[in-house]
Amino acid sequence: MREVHWKLLQYIAGIGIFFLVGYHLIFSHFQSDEITEWSSVSDRAANAGWLTFYVLILIFGIYHVLHGIRGIILEFSLPPSAVKVLDWSIVLIGVAVFGYAVYIPINGFIG
Amino acid sequence: MEAANKGKAPLQNRLGIKGWAWAGRYKIERYLYTLHRLTGLGLAAYITIHMIANGFRLGGQGSWEDIMSIFGTSGFKVGEYLVMAAFIIHALNGGRLMLQHLGITLGKPKPPVYPYVDSLRRKRSLIWVMLALMAALAIYTLVAFVIGE
Amino acid sequence: MEKITFKVQRYNPDKDKKPYTQVFTIPFKHGMTVLDGLIYIKENVDNTLSFRSSCRMGICGSCGMLINNLPMLACHTPIEELKKDTITVKSLPNFPIVRDLVADLSSLFAKHKSIKPYMMPHDMAEAEKPTAEFLQEQLQLEEFVQFAYCVKCGLCMAACPTVATDKHFLGPQPLAQAYRYSADRRDCGAKERFHETDTPHGIWLCHLAGACSEACPKGVDPALALQLLKRAMISDSLRLRKKPAPPSVAQPQAEKKPKVAVPEFTIKRPGAKS
Repeated sequence: MREVHWKLLQYIAGIGIFFLVGYHLIFSHFQSDEITEWSSVSDRAANAGWLTFYVLILIFGIYHVLHGIRGIILEFSLPPSAVKVLDWSIVLIGVAVFGYAVYIPINGFIG
Repeated sequence: MEAANKGKAPLQNRLGIKGWAWAGRYKIERYLYTLHRLTGLGLAAYITIHMIANGFRLGGQGSWEDIMSIFGTSGFKVGEYLVMAAFIIHALNGGRLMLQHLGITLGKPKPPVYPYVDSLRRKRSLIWVMLALMAALAIYTLVAFVIGE
Repeated sequence: MEKITFKVQRYNPDKDKKPYTQVFTIPFKHGMTVLDGLIYIKENVDNTLSFRSSCRMGICGSCGMLINNLPMLACHTPIEELKKDTITVKSLPNFPIVRDLVADLSSLFAKHKSIKPYMMPHDMAEAEKPTAEFLQEQLQLEEFVQFAYCVKCGLCMAACPTVATDKHFLGPQPLAQAYRYSADRRDCGAKERFHETDTPHGIWLCHLAGACSEACPKGVDPALALQLLKRAMISDSLRLRKKPAPPSVAQPQAEKKPKVAVPEFTIKRPGAKS
């Protein structure tokens, strides 16, 4: 994939985050007293719709953040030879973070 | 006289990171770039903490309630509001940037006639609308999320 | 005001470890530009002061400097417009300093060269042995002519926050010129240029700070060119970009105008035959 494709995915992720995280923030506000209660957390954990919602937020959010951080690191005059190392590091970090973060709602859904 | 810099590389004159923050007498769009970067990094830091906090769910009800009792303090409430504000700024500015990166809302090129007004300044109204929306949402969330609690 | 104070950055690589500021107070005349002030200093006060200038009318781009914290052309900046009693003049930021106010612009020219800033016409035979001009409508010309006014002064590169940290970033000037040639319908080298600009240190490190367009002294608006280049690259990658038809060559006139005979002289010249 070329740089232009990564940037397009960044735009798509940004739009996804705008709607999903926007809904997440509004939902959190209107349920502010109950949302952090263990019963409410357990109810959402057992819901397939919420699981899908969280997985999508994680995919869009982790991609958008890591692509943004990659751009900032590149701006420190990273030599062209180090760009591949940076790219693979970002991919590995992204996979690791996604793996850890998605395990939590999946564990709640299964458990 | 001994040459102080003889044989050395020419003196670099890059502004460096301070060139992101403040570089001269530029207009607001230049500093919206800095704000977008700061809010992005702030949100990235928050998301990391948020994911770690959510991980306490794996330890069961006791561990979850312990971490929630820490986050319920007033200091964290202010932090939560700042995260909301950062999201509002980053999201609205990001939407504007996405439209302008695709050349939408910038107008067409036209032969320059003095005094020159560039496309960003010609379409200034979009920036003012965006800033007004940011301010309105920031005030609303301050009242609804923090003062109203 | 009768006098004006200049705080000028001085730096001699053979003597100084780092730049320092020297203060000059000179007489002020109505209509004086910053370049006039520097020339006065050089001619009357300190002839070791080094700076570049040439046309003194804002067309060559040689006298780019940081004037009161904004990159400007010294010849194009009347002192009265700055509305200050003290003028601070420094070398253009983001370029190495050769001496005093002289910046090393070789990186700008190398990056400019890398985006192939020349016409790559469809019809090479016609380009090498032209028979007539390539036809181009006014609207087609207006798609890119604004960006052709670039004088390669480097002010946009001095203003760009990405160039401030990233020495590999192409920068607003080369990227704007990449668009100028790619948008010209007489050119068919867009894909080759996209290959140069679609790199980790290419167009995508532009975050639309807009400082380049603010600094540009010729109204080129490089920020607009960069965003239009992004749009062209995105539509090309999604195979949505319509390849414009190559321009035709002007045809010779079907009817030649009749030759008008030279009228007879009304005043007889001495010795001329009647």
